[in-house]
Amino acid sequence: MKPILTIKNLSVLLQDKLILQDVELSLAEGDILGLVGPSGCGKTTLLNTIAGFVEQSRGEICIDDIHIGAGSHVPPERRQVGVIFQDYALFPHKTVGQNIAFGIQKLKKSEQDYRVAELLKLLALTELSERFPHQLSGGQQQRVAIARALAVRPKLLLLDEPFSNIDARLRDELMIELRSLLKSFNMSAIFVTHNKDEVFTFADKIALLHQGSIIQTGAPKAVFEQPASWQVADFLQIGSWLKVKSVGNSLFTALGEVNCEQLTDTPDSSIELLIKPKYLKLIEAEANCIVKHITFTEQGYHYILASLDKHCALSFERLSFYSEQLLAVGEKVAIHIIAHQYQIFVRE
Amino acid sequence: MTLTPKRPIWALSSWLFALALMAPVAVMIWSASSANHDTFLHLWQTVLPDYIINTLLLGGYVVLLVICFGVISAALVTRTNVYGRKMLRWLLLLPLAMPAYVIAYIYTDLFDYAGPVQRFLRDIFAWQSPQDYWFFDIRSLFGAALMIALVLFPYVYMLVRTAFECQDPQMIRAARSLGLNARQTFFKVSLPLARPAIAISASLVLMETLADFATVQYFAVNTLTTAIYDTWLEYGELSTANAIASVLLIFVLIVLVSEQRARAKQSHQVNSRQHIEHVYTLTGIEQIAASAFCWGLVVFGFLLPCGILLDMAWRYFDVEQFNTLLSSGLNSLEVSFYVASIASVLALLFVLFRRLSQVKLSALPLKISGLGYAIPGTVLAMAMLATFGPLDHVINDLAVQFGFNAPGLVLSGSAFAIVFALVTRFSAIANGTIASGVEQIPQSLDYAPASLGVGLWQTIRQVHIPLLKSSFVVAWLLVFVEAMKELPAVLVLRPFNFDTLSTHIYQMISDERLEQGAIGAILIVAFGLIPIVILNKKEKNH
Repeated sequence: MKPILTIKNLSVLLQDKLILQDVELSLAEGDILGLVGPSGCGKTTLLNTIAGFVEQSRGEICIDDIHIGAGSHVPPERRQVGVIFQDYALFPHKTVGQNIAFGIQKLKKSEQDYRVAELLKLLALTELSERFPHQLSGGQQQRVAIARALAVRPKLLLLDEPFSNIDARLRDELMIELRSLLKSFNMSAIFVTHNKDEVFTFADKIALLHQGSIIQTGAPKAVFEQPASWQVADFLQIGSWLKVKSVGNSLFTALGEVNCEQLTDTPDSSIELLIKPKYLKLIEAEANCIVKHITFTEQGYHYILASLDKHCALSFERLSFYSEQLLAVGEKVAIHIIAHQYQIFVRE
Repeated sequence: MTLTPKRPIWALSSWLFALALMAPVAVMIWSASSANHDTFLHLWQTVLPDYIINTLLLGGYVVLLVICFGVISAALVTRTNVYGRKMLRWLLLLPLAMPAYVIAYIYTDLFDYAGPVQRFLRDIFAWQSPQDYWFFDIRSLFGAALMIALVLFPYVYMLVRTAFECQDPQMIRAARSLGLNARQTFFKVSLPLARPAIAISASLVLMETLADFATVQYFAVNTLTTAIYDTWLEYGELSTANAIASVLLIFVLIVLVSEQRARAKQSHQVNSRQHIEHVYTLTGIEQIAASAFCWGLVVFGFLLPCGILLDMAWRYFDVEQFNTLLSSGLNSLEVSFYVASIASVLALLFVLFRRLSQVKLSALPLKISGLGYAIPGTVLAMAMLATFGPLDHVINDLAVQFGFNAPGLVLSGSAFAIVFALVTRFSAIANGTIASGVEQIPQSLDYAPASLGVGLWQTIRQVHIPLLKSSFVVAWLLVFVEAMKELPAVLVLRPFNFDTLSTHIYQMISDERLEQGAIGAILIVAFGLIPIVILNKKEKNH
């Protein structure tokens, strides 16, 4: 599939601060990319740079056949990139219909009417076309914003935290609806979120941004299974971290010895073992953990465990563990690590 | 983020207009600094210290009085069940519409030796001469301060009342739950929190006081403003007048800095939308004192002078006077129309430049152009003369050289200088109004059109201007009213035989026959009520 967006070596300096550094990213036509990262990592700046609201300092952006270099700025109105703003940015003095027609005023009136009517129908807004934005619910406003962006037939759609203003109960439903709508248009899209669950529901591809650089991209499942670095695993909360100590070819944790081939030369103090909750189980043995906290979830009880031995170099405070069995806070239990392909990371 | 990286025309025009508005003041300071040192020394050895002391005393008295009037009335109206609380809430704003020189005239009439009050007292107590009793002398420095304070205290009242009303009720509840009673809570929590509002409003009042000309002139109190006026119009000494104006400007600058500092502190204030409902119940005697205080302010600041004006207008109506009034009224309308239109359009330019270009320093034109509100009208007038006088000479010389007739004082001797001065003085009002309007527009609306392929000019035309329409109208109206009311600048700059409503009334007052100009005074008051109505309406919408 041909790429609709290619970003090479992109750096952005804002107020003498390097916000984005050597970002590399590409997106195939029709794909939906979820851009995640902790707040302040530069997600919104990256979106704004692609849209043209922020000028890049270095590197290049290609949107289909439009080439944007550091010295050759293309203003946002000539990039054919649609944006769904976090607050939707509907024009308060224009009706739903006028909002949707805003970007296509240069077209013939008949063509305008046709496109507006088509989008109103598609997004179930026909009844509301004469209303003003303040008369609409949050979900309806978002649909208007989407219709307005799609009316100009952009090559790429950018969505800034599109679900953050939506009621949690409606969010899943809306994500599924919006995804199938974008797919039906074969619309390429990038959306920003700090919620990993949204990525798994909405995106074909995930990109992790950390301190201004993309640290991993790929299919959500692949990234989840094979995180490329400590930050990726930590941000996606794939599992808990255990300190380790190597003795010869073996690694020791507070929960016993594990066999790991992936040994490095890095000193023990800076490496940590990633343990997914599914590789932990309760056994009948001498207790090594104590229950610190219990949360009830749909997947059973979620426990936060701490090591019994508090003063050893390998002791831990937060180990995530799921079980159907009810334990009490303060209860001492024996936990065993099920042998699997261990993943060790250098903590930075 | 920036939407206008390559729009030099916009940046250029913003900077140009903003600097042009302030240029005459710079020219004036420059010409004052290059003035004859002997003149200045002479001034310093003779009258200047007196003028400065009078100006400082006047400012000090007014500030003390307005804080006393404004803070107490704001506290009573927001925190107690003072009689007529709901009505007082807006009635206390009305004195703002009354020009100080008008009430000065009215109260002099009323309380002078020959006035009805003293006559009445003499009749009752059978006093024969002024030696028999003591009576407050209104034609004094303190009297002038009292007149000015009576019409300016609403600034303090308004800002402090808002501060009290916006305080987080949780804070009050916290104080009460920690063992303070209502009174202690007020003095230990509410009042300290309102300090920035008090400081801001007091500095605004101080600026207005420094700018006052007519009241002190009427009471024959020599301050820096009257000195500027006399030096120029009586003795024709331009450079000396410039020098005095520059001295006055130093005081203004000090006040301006303190105001800006107070504003910076205000950001610490938490504004809450919840209102405090709990009200302190006054005891019988407290209620009488509190009501007398608040209603006294309303009566003496507005109702009584207004009534007297209406009575005068009714009794002394005269067709000939009415015709001169009409012609000066038309002049006022014309000047104010230009001032309001120019100031509002410029404000729109500055505000949108700051908003949409967000280049470093793009906020500066807005700031610079807004500095004029602190500059007294007399000083601005001197600045116009210092700048446009020489410019007129250049124009005339050029015209003669090219074989035309000398056009005369086209800039300094026409309404042009008046309009320029008033635009400089009132730009801040238009700037502030339109800037707060633009803040209501979410930032994303600036970017949305570009993402839809729509360019910047279209965006401004179709999004910003329609959304700013009501702010623009309000800004226009507020500037219009202020321009109507402004006196000192017009007084100095007006061409021969050119009167506006305010200079006409001033003339009547100087001639001790306001009775015949009462309709004009009523008109000025009526125009002055417009911004108060707008303010009230705005507040209700919030």
